[in-house]
Amino acid sequence: MSENKFVVAQDGDIEDGEAIKIDRAITGADDDIAVFFDNGEYFALNDTCSHATASLSEGWIENGEVECPMHSGRFCLASGEVLSMPASENMRTHRVVLENGDVILYPGVPAGVKA
Amino acid sequence: MNVSSVLIAGGGMAGFQTASSLRELGYAGDITIVDASTAPPYDRPPLSKDYLLGSSTIEHLAFAKPEWYVEKNIALVLGSAITALDPDSGTVTLANGRDLCADVVVLALGGAARKLPLDTGTASNIHTLRTVEDANALHAAISVGTRLLIVGAGLIGAETASSAATLGATVTLVDPFEPPLVPVVGLDMARYLHAHHAGSGIRTIQGSLTQLIADDSGDYVAAVLESGERLDIDQILVGIGITPNTQLAVAAGLEVDNGVIVDSNHRTSHPRVFSTGDMARTRTADGELARRNEHWESARLSGTATARGILGLEPDHADSHWFWSDRAGIHLEVAGDMSAAAESVFRGSTQDDSFVLFRVNGSTLVAAASINDSMAVRAARRIIAAGTAVTAADLANPAVNLKKLTRGIAS
Repeated sequence: MSENKFVVAQDGDIEDGEAIKIDRAITGADDDIAVFFDNGEYFALNDTCSHATASLSEGWIENGEVECPMHSGRFCLASGEVLSMPASENMRTHRVVLENGDVILYPGVPAGVKA
Repeated sequence: MNVSSVLIAGGGMAGFQTASSLRELGYAGDITIVDASTAPPYDRPPLSKDYLLGSSTIEHLAFAKPEWYVEKNIALVLGSAITALDPDSGTVTLANGRDLCADVVVLALGGAARKLPLDTGTASNIHTLRTVEDANALHAAISVGTRLLIVGAGLIGAETASSAATLGATVTLVDPFEPPLVPVVGLDMARYLHAHHAGSGIRTIQGSLTQLIADDSGDYVAAVLESGERLDIDQILVGIGITPNTQLAVAAGLEVDNGVIVDSNHRTSHPRVFSTGDMARTRTADGELARRNEHWESARLSGTATARGILGLEPDHADSHWFWSDRAGIHLEVAGDMSAAAESVFRGSTQDDSFVLFRVNGSTLVAAASINDSMAVRAARRIIAAGTAVTAADLANPAVNLKKLTRGIAS
């Protein structure tokens, strides 16, 4: 893969159970990307819910899941898998790692894949 | 009873969720969903919103893609209504003459939109909105300048008013109550929501119709209100509630009282037949008949509870009552019973685009409704479900993080 990576935050910037939204204009990805911090781990998914136009970065983040702020569709933060209706399509994941206090996002690289 | 086949009559939220939950819970037997519609099970709330606006498709409304049914081994029998049920043998007869048999039959037939008593049933320009076919007909009937009369300002009437106004229709919304929806959202929120219609160019009238005037073709051209005012109209939408589709259950001899009576496991008066969703009415352990719920979330939870009941599992924990409604510029969410006796506590003000109205009884949060602040209601759902103690001061203070309150962390 290319060196397409971005330092999107410093460790500690994102509170537990919170998320930030990285604009597609910055990453060049096809959607904004939500970077979540849940229970000591970072995760990243496409930001626009697969069900209706809503920002998952504004969702309810808890127990490794995000619940869409619009209609409560739930997704697994680690895999992007849809867990609850009304959503029926999985979300795309992106690799995000913590290195020397930097939260580094690899847009377009699925979670779990080495860049 | 050893269950190796389940037939679900009705592919709405509750019927679909029953099937989906059966598989999630490990049931490996046959599952068949039967529905009169030719469309595979789909989500109905968008019918009055994105779908009516033309910005969504039936494929997008589908609860699952076609391959999901293959993967989960769930058979769909679409396009033929059920005309008869024999509970003893577990047989349903379809309109096309076909008989289907199963160990368990689940009635998930929902409700039918109530008709206007004045309507003679011959006009082509009077609508209800319950199915995708209804939405297609209504969409085709609305264009710029269409004079649309909506009878009933409940959730469907109000949402459709907003969508039709967006499509350029001239909308008049008539309801006997001013403001409408008080039992559902409470007085403070009902007033706010009702006042919002004027900003979308929707005329609201408190009253009811005394007469519908038809032309030679039988279509309605005007409506007369009890005030004597005559409204010239092109189209009418009637949104005055539903009646549960219990005809099949009645004919089959099941116990019915404004809904098919079920126990907490969703079993009807016949051991082979279950019922779920809008059409089911629970008799509680102490013998009381509960109110039927007609919301999306209650239908979803009802489907899961029914699957558990079929498999002989104990009912799981039921979440607090929750629903949403979308209309121009507004995303409303409600958790709990807004009409229960309690005090109103505002976070923000109704002058803002975003605020929360809590209903509090001492240190107990009873209900919450939000405009464009759904996270507040998500927090409220958890606080209500867990019975976490709250103070009015914390709830009213925008600096207090509601999510932290769910964990019992006071400011």
